[in-house]
Amino acid sequence: MDYVWDFGSVWEYRAALWVGLVNTLKIFAICLVAGLSLGLAIGLARYSERRWLRWPAACFIEFFRNTPVLVQIFWFYFAFPILAPFDISALMAAALGITLNSAAFSAEIFRGGIQSIDPGQWEAGRAIGMRYREIMGRIILPQAVRRMMPALTNRGIEIFKMTTLASAIAYADVLHQARLIASVNFNPIEAYTVVAVAFFVILYPIVRATYVLERRLAKGD
Amino acid sequence: MYEWDFTAVIENSDLLWQGLLGTLAITGTALAFGLPLGLILALSRLSPRRWLAWPAGFVIEFFRTTPPLVQLFWFFFALPILIDFRMTPYLAAAITFSIQSSAFFAEVFRAGIVSIERGQWEAARAIGMERPQAMRRIILPQAVKRMIPAFTERSIELMKTTTLVATVSYADLLYQANELAQKTFRPIEVFTATALIYFVVIFGLSLCVQAAERRLAVSGDSTVR
Repeated sequence: MDYVWDFGSVWEYRAALWVGLVNTLKIFAICLVAGLSLGLAIGLARYSERRWLRWPAACFIEFFRNTPVLVQIFWFYFAFPILAPFDISALMAAALGITLNSAAFSAEIFRGGIQSIDPGQWEAGRAIGMRYREIMGRIILPQAVRRMMPALTNRGIEIFKMTTLASAIAYADVLHQARLIASVNFNPIEAYTVVAVAFFVILYPIVRATYVLERRLAKGD
Repeated sequence: MYEWDFTAVIENSDLLWQGLLGTLAITGTALAFGLPLGLILALSRLSPRRWLAWPAGFVIEFFRTTPPLVQLFWFFFALPILIDFRMTPYLAAAITFSIQSSAFFAEVFRAGIVSIERGQWEAARAIGMERPQAMRRIILPQAVKRMIPAFTERSIELMKTTTLVATVSYADLLYQANELAQKTFRPIEVFTATALIYFVVIFGLSLCVQAAERRLAVSGDSTVR
């Protein structure tokens, strides 16, 4: 082990890494918001009693859960532009792939959460004259979301990790920038180590928080 | 309107099959090394000795909270310089996914071991068994049965994650698809067919997991996630 570590060369290019980190956060925010909202809609459709809503939702969920997200990103980047009448940027393709994938996974979380609520809550809502929509919005979801918090946070962490896949289609995220820095300076060890440590430092406190959250929920419920 | 034409895909389907074999090979290698390594990590983390438990905990948490693509790039581009060694895409992928999956498997093992009632430990101690003996003969055999669904689910996750090897040009299914798309100028058909192949293989495996879960539920055993 006579390799001399030199983080100075990475520090010199910190502006490039910073741009990458901002881009990573940008795609993460898009996928988190769009993925969870779409997941809620699809989860509700999957839970619905109407077949024409339930079946397409189930197909969507199974398809996107059972194919690798990188294949989805490649599909949207290389195949979709030919079918679509407009240009697709790397950001759009990656965001589409990750959003749809996350929507499928979070739909199952929402469905599981809704199903876990005691049927008595539905009956109570109906007894005081509430409609399906009202019961779902005011009674079921608020309770279910509380229970789903650990699973949803874990999804968020997964999404954050997934954003690195955007670098495979040359979106300038933090990993892509590290790759650039490594090829300019011939310092892949330092460049990739910095990125790995950065992800760990950002995500580990959130992971710890989910542990605490899980314990508190286990006590409360 | 775009005209779909799958003939180019069908004519070159042997390329895709080779890719699927590549995917299965790397998944198999990662499983073969990841499972035992995961067991070792889990046992170390559960050990009462701190100098064993803490490093194991760190490895598990680190590999679970960093993106696998960053790990792969590190092992492929950085490690060879550090230890002066010629790295192949297959080797880098095998190292990355063995360690990465072992971190996840370790948590499955741990959850399974922890789920066994304390009475089993006490019973083992009462008849004079040492801790390692009790673990091997009493706890693990019961725990492994509960872990089967979580293991298969993790293995499916692993197979999906192996698509990342395409980015360091290991010839897995996705890499072959990319090559074929560039050669035939038919990216829509090639990538659609590839997505379908992945879907058929992975969905088939998921159905097996569900069947296994139902059987375990019938036999009255709870399972861990």
